[in-house]
Formats: sequence, C-alpha cells, structure tokens
Amino acid sequence: MDRSKLIKWLKEPMKMSNKYSLHVVYFCTGCGIIEIPPSITARWDAERFGVKPVATPRQANLFLITGYVSLKTLKPIIRTYEQMPEPKYTVSLGSCPIDGGMYWDSYNTINHLDKYIPVDGYIAGCMPRPEAIFAGVTHLWTMIDKGMADGYVKYRENYEQYRSNQEEIYADLGWPPLFGVSNQDEQ
Amino acid sequence: MNNKITELIESSFRDVDVELIEEDRVRVNVKQESLLTLLNFLKENRYSHLALISCVDRIEENFFELIYIVSPYMQQDESYTEREKVNVILKTKLPRENAQIGTAIEIFGAAEPYERELHEMFGIEFIGHPRLTPLFLEREYDIPPLRKDFDTRAYVEEKFGSIPPVED
Amino acid sequence: MEVISEKQISESSRELELYFGPQHLGMVGNFSITLKVQGDRIVNAEANPGYLHRGFEKLMETRSWIQNFPLVCRVNVIEPGSIEMIYSMGVEKLAGLEVPERGKFVRSIYLELSRVSSHLFALWAYSKMLGFDTVGQWAMYHRDLILDLFEDLTGGRVYNIYIWPGGVRRDLPEGFEEKTKQTLHKIGNKVPDYNDTFFNNRIFHERAKGIATVTREQATRMGGTGQVLRATGMKYDIRKVEPYAAYDQVDWEVPTRRDGDAYSRVMVVRDELIESVHMIFKLLDKIPDGPVYNSIPNPFKWKVPKGEAYVRSECSRGELGFYVASNGGKSPYRAHFRTPSLPHGLTVLEKALEGESISDTGNIMMSLYVTAPEIDR
Repeated sequence: MDRSKLIKWLKEPMKMSNKYSLHVVYFCTGCGIIEIPPSITARWDAERFGVKPVATPRQANLFLITGYVSLKTLKPIIRTYEQMPEPKYTVSLGSCPIDGGMYWDSYNTINHLDKYIPVDGYIAGCMPRPEAIFAGVTHLWTMIDKGMADGYVKYRENYEQYRSNQEEIYADLGWPPLFGVSNQDEQ
Repeated sequence: MNNKITELIESSFRDVDVELIEEDRVRVNVKQESLLTLLNFLKENRYSHLALISCVDRIEENFFELIYIVSPYMQQDESYTEREKVNVILKTKLPRENAQIGTAIEIFGAAEPYERELHEMFGIEFIGHPRLTPLFLEREYDIPPLRKDFDTRAYVEEKFGSIPPVED
Repeated sequence: MEVISEKQISESSRELELYFGPQHLGMVGNFSITLKVQGDRIVNAEANPGYLHRGFEKLMETRSWIQNFPLVCRVNVIEPGSIEMIYSMGVEKLAGLEVPERGKFVRSIYLELSRVSSHLFALWAYSKMLGFDTVGQWAMYHRDLILDLFEDLTGGRVYNIYIWPGGVRRDLPEGFEEKTKQTLHKIGNKVPDYNDTFFNNRIFHERAKGIATVTREQATRMGGTGQVLRATGMKYDIRKVEPYAAYDQVDWEVPTRRDGDAYSRVMVVRDELIESVHMIFKLLDKIPDGPVYNSIPNPFKWKVPKGEAYVRSECSRGELGFYVASNGGKSPYRAHFRTPSLPHGLTVLEKALEGESISDTGNIMMSLYVTAPEIDR
C-alpha cells in the first residue's frame, strides 16, 4: 500500500471500510437476475470487490435493482429500501428503470424509477455483463470518495415529494411515513 | 388414422362443425350449450391432456371466441403411435356483454389457473369456479386489459404521465 | 408415559400465516407463496404470482411480426432460445415457410446447448437450496463456458436473437465445432465428480427421497408435463411424439424413473443433461452442407396470411406451446404462450406442499422447476 492510500485510511477509516464492503440485498426484482449468479460464483468473483449477498435488508447497504419494475414489485422495493440503514446506495441495471425500455407502453410497468426512490447510478446493458457490473461498482467507489453518492440524503430532505408520488400510484401504502411529515401526527 | 377422431365426433354429436385443418390438427366449432358434454366425451376417449384455454376478442363481429386445446397422453408406456400427434381445437362463441359459461374443472383439473386468468383479462365469468380472485393484476381496470378497446398507450400516458419528477 | 396438558395441545395447534415472499434468501426468481402452518407442518399453500407481469400478449399486438423477435425472447430469461424457436415455428406455419436441412441441424444444436445451460442453472439453484455450495460453483462455471460459445456465435451471452423465420440468422463461425467439442468434453469429464459429490451423496438422498410425491394420476389430472411426468414412468417427450427440427434424424432415448418424488425428478434432469451432451456430438457428426436460411419477403412490409395455428415443442421444463391467430395484417391478432410453469407452479405446487415441512419449501419448488417469469409473461 503506498503512502497516499495509507493516509486516506488513517484520516477517514469509516468511509474506506464502508466503500470496500458493500453488502447487497438478495432480491431478484426482474430479468437481470440471470447475470447475478455468475457474478457471485467462482469465475467472476465479486467478493474480491467486497460485494456479497446477505439475507435481510437490515444488514445491507447496496440495493441492486436488476431490470424492469412492475406495479406489484414496487411496493416491496420501497419497503425494502426504507428498512436499510444509512448510508445506503442504489444502483439499477439496464435501460428499463431509466425510461421504460422496451416495455414503455405496458400497463403494468413503471417507467421512471427515479420518481419513487432515489437512484445513484445506472449500468448499461441488457443484461449487463459481470465485467460491466464490476465497472459500475468501482465507479461507485469514486463517487463515494467525492461525496456524490448522496441519494439517501436527498430521500430524507425531499421525503414529502417522494411520498406523494408513491401515494399517487397506490391508494393506501399500508405503512406510515418514515420521516415525520409536518403536522400530520399532532392532529 | 387422423380421421378417426373426426368420424367419432361427427357420429356422436349433431350440429357440430368438424374439419381437419392441417395434418394433425382437428378444429371443432361447437355451440355453448354442448361444450362441456363434448369435453367429457373427448376425455372418455383418452384425450385427457388439456393444454390451453385461450380467448380471442373479435370486436368487429362482436363476440368472444373461447378456445380449448386437448390432446392425448401416451397410451402405452413404451411406444409411440400416430394417434398421439393429434390435437383437437374446440371453439365456441360467447357474447361480449355478460359472457358466462360453465367451468371445466370437474372434467380437467388443469383448467383452474387458465379460467382465473381469462376472468381477469377479458371479463368472462365461469360459473361454479371455486376461486375467481385476481391472479396477475394488482388493481381493477375499467375495461379488462386484453380486450381490443383498452388502449394501453393512452392508459400509460394518463395514469403515469402526470406524476412530477422530484426536484431539489 | 407423557402427560400432555390441555394448554399444550391448544397452543401447538395454532395456525400461523407466513410469507415465503419475494425478498427471501431461499427464493430464486420473483415469486411468492403464502403458507399456513401449524407448528412445522404446512397445512395450506397459496401461490401468488404477478410480480413480473408485463402484458406481453398486449404488447405483441402493436408491434410487427419481425419486431416481436427481440421482445419475445425475454419471456423466460433462463432459456431464451426455446421461446424464439416456438414463436418462429408458429409464424412459419402460418406463412408456409420451409427451413433447409442445414438450418434444421443448426437449430437443434443451438437448442440443445440452451437445454444444457438451463439444466446447469437448475442444478445451481437446487443445490443451493439444500446447502451444497461446491456443486453450485462448478455448475455455474460450466454454464459460463457454454455462454462463451453463444458469444462466439451471436455476440450476446444471454439474449441471442439467433432463430429467424426460415432458418437461423447466420452460419456457424469457423472453429465453432472444435470449440464446442472441447467444452463438452470438459463438462463430460467432470460428471464422475458431480456424481461423487452430489448425486450419490447420502445427505441428498435423505433430503429428497419420499418428499413431495406426485403420482401419475395426479400429474395427468393437473396438467403436468416434462420432468413431473417422466419421473413417474411415462416417456412423454414432444421431441419424440411430434418431431421438429432435426430430432428424428439422430438416435436418442428418453430417460425416465419410477417413483415420482423430488429425488426422481432431479435424477431425470441429470440423465437428460448427459443425453443432450451425447446428442450434440451426434448432430455435429451428421450435419450436412448447404444454406442455413430461406429468404423471407421484405420484413418491413410483411403481411402473414389469415389463419390460426397451435405449435408445441419440448423445452427443458415441459411442453411449451404457442397459439397464434392472424388477420392478414402486419402484427399478430392474438398470441398466447402455453408455458409449462403455469400448471406446475400454481396447481401442482399447491398440492405437493401440503403436509410437508417448512424447511423443504424451496427444495420442492426447485425440484418442480418453477421459473417465475414464465408464469406471468
């Protein structure tokens, strides 16, 4: 390890150890799940990047949204995202969460995922190769270094807008707001 | 050999319309009232595999066309005969308003999920089905989604197009 | 003699409702089962699909016949080649197109390679449910070698849109046959290790023998096909009943077992994998020369004549069928896929789970080979 890296570790140990051990929630949300088992097994080993899947969202800090999002899946995604402890990062694979992809005119898929939960980065490909997933993870490290991966901070600050967008889709969400929303509790 | 099932159906039922459309496919047009009797007859003649129940929306002629596809499983364990290739495609017509027909669950146990799916996608009611609850869809639509008068692009524009993006 | 009090009996017979839901370490795919349990035993199970529903049948009606090819191969992500083949067979039947001889052989080789990769994926998922990690790592590695072959052939690892109406898109590249034989030799040489580590292992036998038995009467009544039927002794395989592509020009056997439990189903998968590997060698020896496709009219203005057709084939999970109706226009009027996971995942699964223990849920679901995107389409 050279001198500059050693100084980084000594100055900000929390950020460095956070970066190099991103634990992924094990949730297969869409068709991208076909390239995740090759990434976590022996040939394209993801554990050398510190990435490994864990069982519950309470132990994870990276959420990979693998592909398109349907109406029925968005509710568990929001619920899982809210259960993760901070700091947490979201990365989505493919072109379907950006703009709809090839299911843009379907009555059962969500076109812009950005309006419902904050997304830090997008990885191109349909489906992205394991090498592309690793390139995305290393880019996320640079973003964490510079402080640009702050989706969770934006979620906390603009929670009212996110919550009203979520309530437009579902008539009753089933759980109370996560962060205290103005004067609703007192009335 | 392939014509055997056509002769059998024609000799036992009146007012059905049987024709051999390809080498191994027999198409039978039958009226709604005698559909279940014909299905039972086919099952007793060893045609016991219900492969698919489907529906086509003929909006111009104003009816639904229900389609049942049955084929035989193997008759002997070890050898294959010509008979196993034949599939019988049964078709019947239903009116578009208030479409109702009896369920085929007592004859073929495999019919249960297909009838549930057709109920929520087209709005057809199967009388006697024990569990006609939604299967794939998460919400109710005004017009069932697979009908030809449901415009999916207009629905997406109206329902999701007005949600604003989140700004800092 | 133990004396059990009234209070103990009433507490232990309380019924709980659990969700083996979409976010779960034991779930492969996005699917959910609602279980009602008493103690450790499942009393009632209800499958809850719909998390991956995209409305394919509505989308296919607004795109032209050729534009549907890239769309349709995403119906099942684990084996996209089988769905491309069945769509192409339906369109060819309506339009009256013929496939040349070499095209049929190349299609069979491509489909058998897809089948081997799909069975290796199932082996990873199943052994992960039981806790055998080493076998899973080997299976994924060998599957990756086959995906390298696909990359040589078409450029894409997973979604290769290779089958075209009238044949395949382009011929086999140079050196492909040598590479295929080397890869398959590598997989074949590892089979004794797979046998020693997993298939002859006493732990696998105790966890899979006698679990979730589906008899032949139950399977035929509930619409089961594929491994669910072949594990009860019936040699029902559409490649023998109604041959398509080049399956009637090589000799091969359909493997079966007798008992109908989870052990028999997994052993049928293993036997089919070995049979497919032998079949690819035979096909590579017999392949003739010639063109690989017959040309079609201008795809941007192609109108398929009016009619309807039902075609069927055998994919790695069971009988795959396709019903298509055309009105003489530029898009299909109605397209409906008959996928094998719909009766297996909804009717057979609910019946097979009754009376079993909770810890065997993933085991049973994977032995029936239920893949979630195929149920919802």
